[in-house]
Amino acid sequence: MSETIQKMTNEERVALVQKQHRRITYRNTILSISGILLFFIIWEALAIFEIVDPKKISDVLQIFKLFILKFTDPNPDGAVLLVHIWSSLEVALLGFLLAVVIGVPLGWLMGWYRGFDSFVRPLFEIIRPIPPVSWIPLTIVWMGIGLQAKAFIVFFAAFVPCLINSYTGIRQTKEVLKNVGKTFGASNFTIFRKVGIPSSLTMSFAGIKVAIGNAWATLVAAEMLAASSGLGYMILMGRSYGRVDLVILGIVVIGALGVLITALINRLEKVVLGWKEL
Amino acid sequence: MIKKDKTVNMSAAEIHEYRMNMLYKVLPIFSVLLLIALWLLASSGVSDFPSPAEVWERTVRLFTNPIKKLNLFSHVLVSLKRIGIALAFDWTFGIAFGVLIGWSPRAKAFFGPLFNAFRAVPPLAWIPLITLWFGIGEFPKILIVIFGSLASIVVNVQAGLSTVEKMYLDVGTVFNASPAQRLFKIAIPASLDAIFAGVRTSTSAAWMVVLAAEMLGANAGVGFLISRGMDSIDMPLVLTGMIAIGIVGAILAIITQFAERLICPWTRKRK
Repeated sequence: MSETIQKMTNEERVALVQKQHRRITYRNTILSISGILLFFIIWEALAIFEIVDPKKISDVLQIFKLFILKFTDPNPDGAVLLVHIWSSLEVALLGFLLAVVIGVPLGWLMGWYRGFDSFVRPLFEIIRPIPPVSWIPLTIVWMGIGLQAKAFIVFFAAFVPCLINSYTGIRQTKEVLKNVGKTFGASNFTIFRKVGIPSSLTMSFAGIKVAIGNAWATLVAAEMLAASSGLGYMILMGRSYGRVDLVILGIVVIGALGVLITALINRLEKVVLGWKEL
Repeated sequence: MIKKDKTVNMSAAEIHEYRMNMLYKVLPIFSVLLLIALWLLASSGVSDFPSPAEVWERTVRLFTNPIKKLNLFSHVLVSLKRIGIALAFDWTFGIAFGVLIGWSPRAKAFFGPLFNAFRAVPPLAWIPLITLWFGIGEFPKILIVIFGSLASIVVNVQAGLSTVEKMYLDVGTVFNASPAQRLFKIAIPASLDAIFAGVRTSTSAAWMVVLAAEMLGANAGVGFLISRGMDSIDMPLVLTGMIAIGIVGAILAIITQFAERLICPWTRKRK
C-alpha cells in the first residue's frame, strides 16, 4: 500500500484524493436523500394505512393540497395564508429591527465605556433572566393585542443576544490595534468608531443571527397567546378545530420562513463583512 | 493598585484611575435606585401597574392563601420537576445523538437534513401539534420542553466533536488507539466545554419553554400563575410570577455555570 503511494506522481495523488472526495460527497448525498425519503415513507405509511388515528396525522399530499388551497380560501381561521405570513413577518421584522437598532449600539457603548457599562449593566442583568414570553400578560394590559404589543415581545427576545454579542465583540478588540490608534493621536471616540466597532462586527452578526432565531420563535408564542392573525394564530386555530393538516402546514411554513430569513441574514453578513475575508 | 489605602503615593494618573474605580462601584447602586424609582413612578399614576408594595403583599398572600392548594414554592417546584425530567432525557439522548452525528460523517449525512428541518421549527410551534396528539396531561408538557431544548444541546455537542483539533486525534492514531479510545479518551474530553455550553443553553431554553407551555394550559407551575393573573386581571400576581421566574432562571444559570467550572475548569482560563 505505502509502496504504491510512493511511486505515484503528484498528479496521480491529486487525482486519487479528488476521487476519494467525490466518492464521499456522493455517498453523503445518497445517505441524506435516503434519510429524508425514509422519514416521508414512514409518515405516509402511518397516514395511509391508518396506523395512527387519521385525526392525528395527515398525509403529505393532503397537506400540499391544503397549502395550495390556503392561498385563496380563508376558512377555517379567517384569513388566507399570505395574510397570515405577512402579519407574522411584519411583527417579527419590526421587533427584530428595533432590537438591532437599539441593542447593538448599546452593547458597543457598554463594552467601550466603563462608566456607561457600570450604570446600565445592573438594569440589564435584572431584566435579562425574565423570559420574553412572560412579558406577554403585561404587554397585553399595556398595549392590547395589536402590532405594538407583539413587536414589543419580539423586541425583548431579540434584544438580549444583540446586546451581549456586541458587548463581548467590542471587548475583544485587540489592544495592539487600540494602541496604534492612540499612538497616532486618535481620540477615544475615534478609536471606538474606527477600530472597536469594525473589529466587533463578526460577533455582532453572530448575535444578530441568534436574535432573528429568537425573534421568530417568540413571535409564535406571542401570536398563540395574543393575536387574531398570523401563523401562530393559524396553528392554534387549527388545533382548536381539530384540523391536524392545518397545524402541520403552519409548522412547515413557520420552519421554512425561518430558514429563509436566516439565509438572507447570512447573505447580508457576507456583503457587510466581505472585507474581513482575505 | 486600589488596595493602597491612601492616595499619597500615587501619580496623577493613578489618582484619576482610583477615583474612576470608585465611581464605577457607585454607579450600579444609582441605576438600581433609578429602576425602583421608575417602578414607583409608573405605579403611582393612573395606570393599573402594581406598586412594589402590592406585589410583595400579593406574594405573601400566595403563601397564606395558595392557588390550587399550592403556594409559590410548590408552583416553582412543579415547573422545575417538568424541566428536570425533560433535561434528564435531553442530556442522555441529546448528548448521545450529538456524539453520533458529530463523530460519524455517515450518521451526519443520514440524520443531518432531518435534524436541521426539525430544528428550524421554533419549539413553541410544536405545542398545538403535541396537544393534538397527546392531550394536555403531564407527558405532553414534558415532551414540549424536550422538543424545545433538545436542539441546542445536540448542536453544541455535534459542533464540539467535529471541531476537535485534528492533531489530538492524530496523536491517538500514532499511539495505536482504537476508534473507541479515540472517541472516549480524546474527542469527548476535548469537546467537554462545548458539551457544557450545550447543557447551559438547553437549561435556559427549557426554562423558557416550560413557561410558555404552562401559559397555554396547565393547572400548576409558574407559567400557570402568570396566565391565571392575566385571566383574572390580577397584575400583582403576574409580576410575582415574573419575578419568581427571573430569580429561578438566574439561579439555574448560576448552578450550571458553577458545575461547568467544577467539571471543566480549564474553560474559564480561556475566556
